[in-house]
Order: sequence, then structure tokens, then C-alpha cells
Amino acid sequence: MLRERLAELVSQASDGELAVADILAADSGLPALGVTSLTYLRLIDAIESEFGCDIDLDGPFLDTLDGLADHLTRQLDGR
Amino acid sequence: MTGHQGLPGLTELAPETVEFTGARGGEYPLSWGQQMIWSSTRWLDDGDPYFNLPWALPISAPGGGAGDLAAVLRAVRRLVERHETLRTAYVETPEGTVQRVNRAGRLTVGVYEAAAKPMSAARALAADLAATGFDYAAESPIRCAVVLVRGRPRALALALSHLALDGWSLNLLAAEWPRLLAGDDLPEPVRQPLDQAAFEREGAGAARGAQALRHWRAGLVAAPRSMFDFPTREPEEPRFVRYGMESLAMAVAAETLAARCSVTTSSVLTVASAALLAALTGHRKAALQLIVSNRHDPRIRDMAGPAALDGLFVIDLAAGTFSDAVRRGHRQAMATYRNGNYDPSAVRAVRDEAAGRRGAELDLDVFFNDIRPDGRWPNLPPADPEDPGTLSTLAGRTRTFFVGAYPKVKARAFFATGAATATCEFFVLVDTAYLPRETAERMLLGLEALLVRAVTEEVPLDRVAEVCGVAPVRRPAGWTLIGDDWVCPPEGDGRTTGAPPLEMTRKVT
Repeated sequence: MLRERLAELVSQASDGELAVADILAADSGLPALGVTSLTYLRLIDAIESEFGCDIDLDGPFLDTLDGLADHLTRQLDGR
Repeated sequence: MTGHQGLPGLTELAPETVEFTGARGGEYPLSWGQQMIWSSTRWLDDGDPYFNLPWALPISAPGGGAGDLAAVLRAVRRLVERHETLRTAYVETPEGTVQRVNRAGRLTVGVYEAAAKPMSAARALAADLAATGFDYAAESPIRCAVVLVRGRPRALALALSHLALDGWSLNLLAAEWPRLLAGDDLPEPVRQPLDQAAFEREGAGAARGAQALRHWRAGLVAAPRSMFDFPTREPEEPRFVRYGMESLAMAVAAETLAARCSVTTSSVLTVASAALLAALTGHRKAALQLIVSNRHDPRIRDMAGPAALDGLFVIDLAAGTFSDAVRRGHRQAMATYRNGNYDPSAVRAVRDEAAGRRGAELDLDVFFNDIRPDGRWPNLPPADPEDPGTLSTLAGRTRTFFVGAYPKVKARAFFATGAATATCEFFVLVDTAYLPRETAERMLLGLEALLVRAVTEEVPLDRVAEVCGVAPVRRPAGWTLIGDDWVCPPEGDGRTTGAPPLEMTRKVT
């Protein structure tokens, strides 16, 4: 569920340029999908406001859908 | 206002007056983006036009014909009414400089008849309008004139204060202009600089700014004291030189490496610039300031007004390959962009603290600016980088050129992309008190060579200078590397490690 929601947020952050299905199906990192810096930063903002958590980019790096989902699960479980 | 009789082929007609009334007026301290430009303008003499933006926009009515003058004046009125930044004065008060948004006012619009070529005439007119500095406290930050051909408006000439608009805002206005001309009703911008300043001081922006300060603190501990800790040389006149390059090979190689490392081309170019500079200056770490547009937040995307600031990027280049550095650097770059909106006076205080702790000023005057709005080259011709012949054939078509020389720039090195969409346009500016002008051109070709080589083989970081074909700076005997800083012997040859001071500050991007 979380993975699907994150894919939707990626798609929104890209202004719909990337389709949810393609994001879910991809086995590459987000930049290889065509996620630019701007899209990525928008995505991080969207995740923070939707899940009410802080994502510190000076920490471990999150450039795959699975990596983001894992990180978020740990953050949400840790509360 | 000066006369324009000097402009060939233009006849001055009676000017028009546009009266505008916006939704609100108000006064508030400057936003962080405004503070950044404001402090840059303060380094210049009053009336210096360096930061003025000359600009020309075409006028065509729906259906392709020319519009009528009344419609053009209406569009100008709507533009000034909807964007508060175009009716803002900057006033120094005992409590600091404030932005003062005038709700209503009038704007004089010059009218000129051109014999032909309205856009060329508008560009010449715009340059003329921009040649005089703005009185920021008393004057409107927009000057404009309409160019007619046989009585029909064909182009708008503008001169804008950089305090009012950044590059992003110009693109925004360019996109709105034809719609305003057509009389479309555009939605009001979500945020204006007044709101942005309040968001930063009292709103959620303050927490983000505090996080950015932490990023600066950590970066200032890790950064070398200077990338330019070696003896100066006799500078050229003018001192700062800028070279450019158009390289399809660099674009194709950057895209290939970006896909392979799962990063953006922007990160590939940033890390290549950092690695080249570190190799050239004998460092195992590099510190650069990245120009951050600060436009990823959807609420600020349609704000006309300055938002860009500099972000600190520090990368360790001591060991491993260039590809490793690209992957690491991409993470660093994302953190830098994320932490790009902050109170400039707070960062100045943090920098002063760091200087006190390290016993020396930190010189961070190396910049990187990727000006491509979406970070891509959308019109790149197809090429097969896996075919070994492709990149070398493309590299044979690379062109380098001299751009200009400037007396005062606040940078020792400045790397930047250009706006070209079908090739990689790239620029390097150097301070010739440190690096001779030939080095700027060699650095451009070196960056291309590095990326092209990295497509076919792993390049160890300790071989970057060799692959780039640049000779590392040679320091006199006795200079030693302590940590990340080169230090000269106490009784040296009398030359200082410190840079000659730049009493005035400008940036060229």
C-alpha cells in the first residue's frame, strides 16, 4: 500500500510525466526513470507533509521506491 | 529618463501612462532571496546598472496579426497588478531594509515607431532602458516601451531590476505575456514575496531554514579552507575571464553516465567540475557553492521575485573512481538543493563562527550553476554511446570560444551550463590571479575528456588530472598539506597564501 502511495506521489511530483504503473514496474533507481532534482525535492516535501515526518537528506540516501518505502516504514514504526 | 534619439531606425512618439491598482499593498522585511540580491547590489556603487535585466518580448495578437496599443497597455497593467514584485520599492529603515509594495501607481510606457525588425529594435531599446541604475527606494523596478511598426505594436522592450526578478521569474513572465495580451484571466499567484518573507520568518519556512543552517555548519567543518591555497600570480587585465564550449560528446557522455550511476546529468557535471578543480589545485576534497533556484515547492513556482540562493556542496575525492564520486556527489547535491533556502545573515554568522574556530576565513568562492530549467537537454540528437566511435566523432565537432573578461567577479572559478537544448553548452570562468586564461579553455576540454573516458572505463580519482590533460598547480618547496589545507612555510618566499581582496562583489552566471 505504502509503495503504491509513494509511486503516486512520484507521479504527482513529476507533474504526471511519469505514470504510476511505470514507476511501480521499474527496477531501476528514480533518476533513471527520469526523476529530475526538482521532481525529487518536490517528492521529499510531499512525503514529509503527507506522513508528517522529517527526511534528512544529509542522512542515508533514498533514490529507489523500495528504499523510500523501507525508510518511511522504519520512521513510522519508530514513533 | 534619457532620450532615445541615439537609437538608429527608431522614432520616439508620445509616451503613454498606465495606471494600476493591485489587490493589496504592504511593508515587510525582505525575503531571503531578496536579501541575497540586495546585499549584492549594496557592493556596487549607487546607480550601477550591472544587475539590471534588459529584455524584449514579441507582441502578436490571437490569429497571428499585431495587437492594438490599448490591448498591450492593458496587458502591461495586468502584469504589474498581478505581480507585487513589479510595484515594490526597497527602503532602508532603522530596523533594516524593507520591501514596500505599492498598491497603486502609474507607469510611463515609451512608444516608438521602428522602420523594420521590431524585436531587434526592442532589444536595443531594452539595453538603453537598462543602462541606468534603478533608484530602488523611489523608482518602479520595471521600465518599458512599446515598439510599433506602421502603427501596430510588435514588441515590448523591458528593463527590470534583478531585485524584482530572477531567471525563473523571467521565464514565468514570458509564459504569461501572450496570455495577458490575449486578455485571458489568469489565476492569481499563490504566493508573493511579502508572503514568502512571512513564511520564512514566522511560518514553516523557518524550520526549513534552521535545517539549512545545520547543513551549512556541517559543511563548513568538512570543507577545505580554500581551493585556492597557493601563491597568486600577476593577474591579467581584466582579471576574470570566461570561456564557453559546445560539446555534443559531453552531453551524450553525461547522459550515459547519469543513467549508469542512476543520478541526474546535473550531478554528473557538478562532480566532474569538483573533481577537475580538486585535481588541478591538489586537493582530496572539494567545496563548491551550487546556485539553488529554490523553486521545487509548488507554492513558490508561480511567484515572481528573487528566490535563488547559494548552497554549500562538499565532496570527498580522496579515493575510488569517478563513478563512485558521481554516486556520492549526487546525494550531496540533493542535500545541498534541499538546504538551499536560509536566512543569509544567519549563514554569514555561521561562517564567521567557523572562521573563528579554524583561525582563518573560509574562501568558498567556487560556484556551479545549472541553468537548465528542467535539468535536461530535451533536443539532443540520438547517439549510441556504446559504439566506441560515436563519442570520439562527436568530440571532433566540439567548439570552445572566449566569452568575455570582467574586472570584478565574486568567484575564483565559476562553472555553469548554458541554455542550449540540443548540445551541452558549458562555461568556465577563472580568476587569473590564480589560473592563467588558457587554463579555463583547457578545463572545458578536460571536463569533456573526463566524461568521455568515464563512459568506456573506470577512471580512478587520482588519474583525473592526467585524463583531463591539465597540469596540477605547483606550489613552491616547503608547502605542506595539513588535513585538507595547504600551508606555506612560516619564513616563506614572502608571497602570501591569502587571496588578494575583492573589494567589490559580482557574480556572472
